Amino acid sequence: MADGKTYQTEVNIDVNTRQWNLEAGTEYRFELDPGTTVAIKLAHGQAEIFGAELAEGSVYLFGFECKAAVYTWQGCTIEVIGLPSTEYVSDETPMHAYANVHLALEQMRVRALRTVHGSPPSSDDEADTDANPEPPRVLVLGPENSGKTTVAKILVNYAVRTGQDWTPMLLNTDPGEGGWAVPGAIAAAPISSPIQTSTPATTLGCAASSAPTHLTSNALLPLAYWYGHAETKRNPLLMDRLIRNLGDNVAERWDHDVESRVSGLIVDTPSSFAASSGAQNEHRHALIKACVDAFKINVILVVGHEKLNVEMQRTYGNRMTVVKIPKSGGVVELDASYRERVRKYQLQNYMYGKILQPPPGLSTKMYLQGGEQIPDLTLNLAPVSSIVSFGDLTLYRIGEETMAPTSALPIGATRVVSEMQPLLVDPAQPGSGLYNAVLALLAPPNPDEHERYDEEILDLPVVGFLVVTALDIPNKRMTILSPSQGSLVGRTAIVGSFEWQE
Amino acid sequence: MSLYPQPQSQGYGAAAFPPPGYGQPSMYAPPAFSYAPPAQPVYHVDPTSFRRDYSTRLAELTVNSRPIIQNLSMVAQDYTRFADIVVQCIESHIRRVPQWMKLPAFYLLDAISKNVYNPYANCFAPLVVRLFLDTYEQVDQSTRSKMEEMLLTWRTGSPNGRELFGVVPQLAIERQIWGGESTQNASSSRFGTSSSVSAAQVLSELEFVLNQQERALQMNPYDKASQHHVAVLQQLRKLVQAGVSQAELSQILNQLRTLAQSAPTSAPVSVPPPPPAARPSYAAQQASYAPPPPPAPQSSSYPPPAYMAPTPSTAYTVPKSEPIDLASFLSSVQPPAASASVPTASAPTNNIADLFSALVKAGVVSSTGTPTGAGATAKAEEPSKPVDPVKDAARKYRKAILKHKIKLTSADISKQRSHVVEFMYDRLPAQCKQCGIRFPDGASKKTMDDHLDMHFRQNQKAGQAVSRGHSRCWFVTVEDWTHDGYVDVKGKGRADGRKISSSAAAAAEAAKREAELRALYVVVPPGDEAKPISCPICKEPLKSEFLEDDEEWVWRNAVKRDDKIYHATCHAEATASKSTLAVRLRNEKTGSRSRSITPEKLRTPPKAAVDGVPHKSKSPSPTSPVRTKRKAEDDDPYARLEGKGDAPPAKKFAVSA
Ligand SMILES: [Zn+2]
Ligand SMILES: [Zn+2]
Repeated sequence: MADGKTYQTEVNIDVNTRQWNLEAGTEYRFELDPGTTVAIKLAHGQAEIFGAELAEGSVYLFGFECKAAVYTWQGCTIEVIGLPSTEYVSDETPMHAYANVHLALEQMRVRALRTVHGSPPSSDDEADTDANPEPPRVLVLGPENSGKTTVAKILVNYAVRTGQDWTPMLLNTDPGEGGWAVPGAIAAAPISSPIQTSTPATTLGCAASSAPTHLTSNALLPLAYWYGHAETKRNPLLMDRLIRNLGDNVAERWDHDVESRVSGLIVDTPSSFAASSGAQNEHRHALIKACVDAFKINVILVVGHEKLNVEMQRTYGNRMTVVKIPKSGGVVELDASYRERVRKYQLQNYMYGKILQPPPGLSTKMYLQGGEQIPDLTLNLAPVSSIVSFGDLTLYRIGEETMAPTSALPIGATRVVSEMQPLLVDPAQPGSGLYNAVLALLAPPNPDEHERYDEEILDLPVVGFLVVTALDIPNKRMTILSPSQGSLVGRTAIVGSFEWQE
Repeated sequence: MSLYPQPQSQGYGAAAFPPPGYGQPSMYAPPAFSYAPPAQPVYHVDPTSFRRDYSTRLAELTVNSRPIIQNLSMVAQDYTRFADIVVQCIESHIRRVPQWMKLPAFYLLDAISKNVYNPYANCFAPLVVRLFLDTYEQVDQSTRSKMEEMLLTWRTGSPNGRELFGVVPQLAIERQIWGGESTQNASSSRFGTSSSVSAAQVLSELEFVLNQQERALQMNPYDKASQHHVAVLQQLRKLVQAGVSQAELSQILNQLRTLAQSAPTSAPVSVPPPPPAARPSYAAQQASYAPPPPPAPQSSSYPPPAYMAPTPSTAYTVPKSEPIDLASFLSSVQPPAASASVPTASAPTNNIADLFSALVKAGVVSSTGTPTGAGATAKAEEPSKPVDPVKDAARKYRKAILKHKIKLTSADISKQRSHVVEFMYDRLPAQCKQCGIRFPDGASKKTMDDHLDMHFRQNQKAGQAVSRGHSRCWFVTVEDWTHDGYVDVKGKGRADGRKISSSAAAAAEAAKREAELRALYVVVPPGDEAKPISCPICKEPLKSEFLEDDEEWVWRNAVKRDDKIYHATCHAEATASKSTLAVRLRNEKTGSRSRSITPEKLRTPPKAAVDGVPHKSKSPSPTSPVRTKRKAEDDDPYARLEGKGDAPPAKKFAVSA
């Protein structure tokens, strides 16, 4: 390693294994084809994947068309077993900028913590002129394929890695992405250990299962609301409401837990928030505002989009920090069919878990998947299939009848009510659209009849997701796949526009 | 007396060198080989030609190729009169080639020295220390560990079972890389063990035993015992990597050596059948190439080596390691009938399984994997320190963070080089080798032990729960979610030693409960020790165990109900299916804290609507029996389960997904 000029970056160790020597400040980027897996071992040195550090000597598995990068601050040697469809080393990364953002956010946390502790401002801290410093509450905006989610993940991972007991809240407001739930949901989860990268089905970590896990980021208990569609333009009013519901609950949680509040939050957003063209303009501004209000945003990060940056500066620049940050050259253009497959992986992962087969030529049986040591024992899940009568489960769609783009209507139109209107779905009706539909099972409503209100189901969070795998109209029964045991009788579920078939 | 008594076998183990090509069973097929024999060159007596020829052939040794190594050592054997030239060629080759080519050449050095021995071992002796250490310094971690394995075999590598290159070079190398009595390599262990028996040394020997076991597992992949042994050894490795006390290191080392003695020697002996492409002519040639004294058990098991299982006579004794009565360790965990004064002789495979329990019994480690000495050490240090090191480190961290002149502006963040390495790496010197999580400067050993303990526990649980299958949890209710930060699990920090979160709290709570259940036992009626009994619920056998203190045999994790013995865990699940974790947690919360949601804080209908909802548990049922998709009848057994808690478990049947 001493001789930087002559060493080769890539060395074939054997037919299956290649060794890459990465210089400090570079990253090894790879993409996988469907059905292939790759194992990466950190042979020597330090390295991290989207902010989560790898353990030296450990072997990490990747699959399901994972696209990721192993970055090293200090230089390292990795061994790659298996064949990615694309792989190369780049020395142009935005990591210094991202790390600087992290340090700036860290300063905000430290100042906020001092206030909580009642410590006097530090004499070292020249910038500390704010009498009431607030922890960072960050909105990450950017166009499609700008790496917003990666930025959010890196910032959260850096926060939990500092050793300062931060538990930042990570929010996914992109219903097309799904987060810890399944596509169609928006959700929030406090993060206390680095989020691993292994498959696009677990980009933000894993929701808890009954299996023991080594990392809390694989046993998350998100608070989720069901929007039901991939596109925010389909029902912006509903999005708006759900975002505010999330914000209210985050605020309430923090009322009870001041220490966590100091860690702040990071909000990942859908790319539609940044699409400045035409019809979407109206609703996206409303939704950005919903996020800003709901989460009391005080920092907006705009990933590599000058026009949006200017726009945000103009709208919010006087109230908060708006910063443009560079986009990573490693971000890959994702087409619609890829996103479609990823949604399928997510649902599979939600129900059955996802176990990666090690690539041919991997000699060791000791490998990690998503940071878990015995994946075949802990990442394999058994959902429950049960047959219920039509009457057991009450099903709704939200405002589905009048589904024209909002922008086609005058502002403040009469549609407001109908767009948010829960409409009962009758499974017995042909064309109910229930076969293979993904349902969101809601938390029970208020048992006190007097406390109920018309649109209550819009404000109930999701406790789990179900799939209708068979419909038996003559016998008025349907087969429901659910993640776990539990009675569905008397429960309410909402149908969206997602379908899933095993 | 020799420090390293004599081994009985000279042959290298089949899978000695893990890299492909050299020592892989498929390539290793005596008495024939599947590769084409190289034509034997006719050497001129002329040393210059010999040198040129030998270096040329040596240059081909770019990967760990068994044929090339074999060929080169045969030439060396045939031309012992040019031994000096061979030694020079190998040395300069090792020094010249890039680091990834060095190991194969060392294997050649190893093979020649062990198998030809005279005069090569003597010729290499003066230069081997420097050569080894210089190389060791340059290569990567995985090569280092292979070099360490090789070094271990040199202890007994000579034909009379003594140090291959003599005791002085051997100790000189070992001291440099593992630290000796005085020279100590702190960086060899992440958590810095200051010791005369260094953690690196123990790890290296552990690796050796582990290697044997992994090979045994390769031969017989479905062997449960081997799987278990490997798991136990890996656990032990993690324990050592995390840092244990000097006394513990010594004890572990001693145990390992005992184990190494008794470990099955099957690996080097078992040899796959010859491949069809056998080369009889070469086989004949091979036969004539028998290593010098003492004859290897199989002349065909050429080179090397090395990592054959040591035989009972290979008991290493290391100065400084505390004398341990192994017999008492091992006998304590063996059936009384089998408890012999020579425990190592009986059922060697069990010994590894017993190793961990032996260490537990001996108080070296707690049953959860925590070194018992750890807490005590930490406590002893505390009074002398005026400030809490954790708080102190946190203060320093905050100060350092604020010192940086960085503003959240595009200019500041994109123009500066980031100082993040200082905060992400330098200030967090201790790193868990299992998950990569780091601990801040000043973090107590207890914190790190707790963290490792968590890994151990989770693995144990993962292994135990295998027959039941897991499923995704229902999400928590808003009520639980917004009060999550409140969960107070008495005295328990989060699993990774940081702040507790509800999922971790739930896991910790469940783990605690499970540990309590598993600690329950039923005394085995005298005479029934060998009688196999099964749990009526899961049908799996109950494990018996000898309680040293009470001197009696017990079934662990057992309860007796109506004259039947159940697993305590199974019984608890069956009877308490309605009392779920969420309920317990909530009771605990309400018991310890008064939660008041004041009306003015209720900003929106949802919370008003949700608050006061009866806490219908959404936790996963613990009774899911099979791993595939489960099917429930349309008469909804779950309703029955929830409605009448004592109803029989739901009908379940597996259907293929
Ligand atoms: Zn760890
Ligand atoms: Zn049982």
